[in-house]
Amino acid sequence: MRYLSVALQYGIYLLEAGLLAYLTVRRRFGGLVCLILYLSLLLAFDGVSRPYILYRYGYSSREYAYFYWLTDVLLTLGAFLLVCAFFRRACKYEQKMWHSIRLVLVFVLILTLAISLLALGRNYDQIRTVFIVEFQQNLYFTCLVLNTLLYILLQQIKSTDDELALLVCGLGIQFAGPAANLALARLTTGQGFASSLYGYVSPLCTLGMLLTWFYALVRAPQPSAILAGKEPAQELVAVATRDV
Amino acid sequence: MFGACLVLVISTGLFFFYFQVACQRVLRRRFDREYFLAIVHANRLEFPVVRMTLEEYEAPVDYPRVRMTLKCDYLALTYLLKNAANVNQRYSRDERLLILYFNAISFYLVACHWLRRQEKPAILRLTAILQYFANVVGERVSTIRFGNLTASDYLLNL
Repeated sequence: MRYLSVALQYGIYLLEAGLLAYLTVRRRFGGLVCLILYLSLLLAFDGVSRPYILYRYGYSSREYAYFYWLTDVLLTLGAFLLVCAFFRRACKYEQKMWHSIRLVLVFVLILTLAISLLALGRNYDQIRTVFIVEFQQNLYFTCLVLNTLLYILLQQIKSTDDELALLVCGLGIQFAGPAANLALARLTTGQGFASSLYGYVSPLCTLGMLLTWFYALVRAPQPSAILAGKEPAQELVAVATRDV
Repeated sequence: MFGACLVLVISTGLFFFYFQVACQRVLRRRFDREYFLAIVHANRLEFPVVRMTLEEYEAPVDYPRVRMTLKCDYLALTYLLKNAANVNQRYSRDERLLILYFNAISFYLVACHWLRRQEKPAILRLTAILQYFANVVGERVSTIRFGNLTASDYLLNL
């Protein structure tokens, strides 16, 4: 099982670096800046800092536990911002809708940040207890709900952006797996089963997300390509109906 | 505890939902033409007949026969995916994902049969996956020239 865990971890590092390299070499910055930033953050924390702290302090050290969970919170908040950026991309042709959604997103973001900072500040000494399990479960679940609302929005506006839909699916896998596993860990407090399962579920979900993103960015047709394939009149109608 | 139960149930449901949507998106890939027909004829695959029977004639499902047919077609197509005109001799990432999806739906089909639920939607999904596999094999074979051989001739001579 240890080899599986190591193989998973190295697979994730390779995919993170590969995706970043692909996006940089192909100069695909338009609409994907937030994705590149999130991937860079993921690679910096998951691929560089965590292994360094693990090597320096050891697996059962207090330092590693704190660093792991605090970076996990930061990565989840980063993913939250990424979902907001995807909302922006989904509403590219729906400016009125975007103005209302933007207000709600800012409100939810401030609320989430405030609650996260307050809860972490008050319970900073209890990060190695069940507190962090409950905290991360709630944070993942909030992101999952927001991501699902985005998916519903994409269906409502009949978006033709296949790439975005796949990116959203990838994020959904990344949020849903750990949220379910952390809830299971809370329900079975005191038993190591759910905690040891988390060691596999979390990397597997990250791998699933990265593979879905890889497919979305390399294989899925681009929105511009879809529009370019249409007749000029069809393209105008497509844009006009979005504006209505 | 109630909150944790709720999160567990909803998150698990959404995990499978997103997994299914990702697979369905991969299956939506459009091919230049219907490559699968040549592969079906060359290998005497039966999944198009199964699909046509269910879609057009709305015949009752002969579960043991349908399951065996789809399993045989799956084994043939996964072999071809790995070995026919495939230099690397291994599955790509999306093929692996769809193989996983096929197995999950097969399991769901067995569950539907034992619980006496409708089996038709699951069978139609399985045939859609098999058609995708046949299209991929057909597309691969068509990109490689074997003198004057067509895709069907090539596969018959494997």
